[in-house]
Amino acid sequence: MARARINNRIRRLRFDHNEMTQEELAGRVGCTRQTIIALEQGKYVPSIELAFKIARAFGVPLEEVFQYEE
Amino acid sequence: MSISQKTAWAQLAIFGALVIAWLVLFITNGTIFYWQNNTMKITFYWLCAAAFAGLVLMNIVASIVKNRTKSVTDERDRMIFRKASLWATGTSYTVVVALLLALAITYMNGASETVPVNFPLFIVFVGGVTLVLTQAITALIMYGRKVNYGES
Repeated sequence: MARARINNRIRRLRFDHNEMTQEELAGRVGCTRQTIIALEQGKYVPSIELAFKIARAFGVPLEEVFQYEE
Repeated sequence: MSISQKTAWAQLAIFGALVIAWLVLFITNGTIFYWQNNTMKITFYWLCAAAFAGLVLMNIVASIVKNRTKSVTDERDRMIFRKASLWATGTSYTVVVALLLALAITYMNGASETVPVNFPLFIVFVGGVTLVLTQAITALIMYGRKVNYGES
């Protein structure tokens, strides 16, 4: 069975939102800057709750931030 | 580097130093199992006490920092800590059981019914050190590779 992969566009969205810093995004969603770095590097797949918070911070639907590939 | 990563590095440094100190102590005294004099015994206990006191102090400082600062740890840190703790507990149990079995087999083969009181204590210390070291190493490995919250 092929392993599923979840990609994200956080880095792109940060730049589209007035070059929002990692620190700023972390503050808005209530996580550490290290977690934002790990997310952008594809080293961490977050919980549903954090995923929704990130999407809400950018004001976009969840699917615009995270993509599921099989 | 997050506070949890710093804590894991400190744990590794303190308990790595303890293991090295034990090895030096054992090698210079010529044997792993028999403590030949009181000085060695007391040094061994002091090393253990200092390391565990360091661990407690470090966790107190870390919890004070966590309470004062906003978002120094999050779901990723907690998940890594949980996973590392599971690995550490499993490894520690295995080591303790293996040492107890080795002790039993050694003494049964030697046709001796008595075991020196130092052995069980030594095994408890080794179990504790294995627990802390495994937790630190596993956490540091997990910080460096891909982790999935859903797999926790």
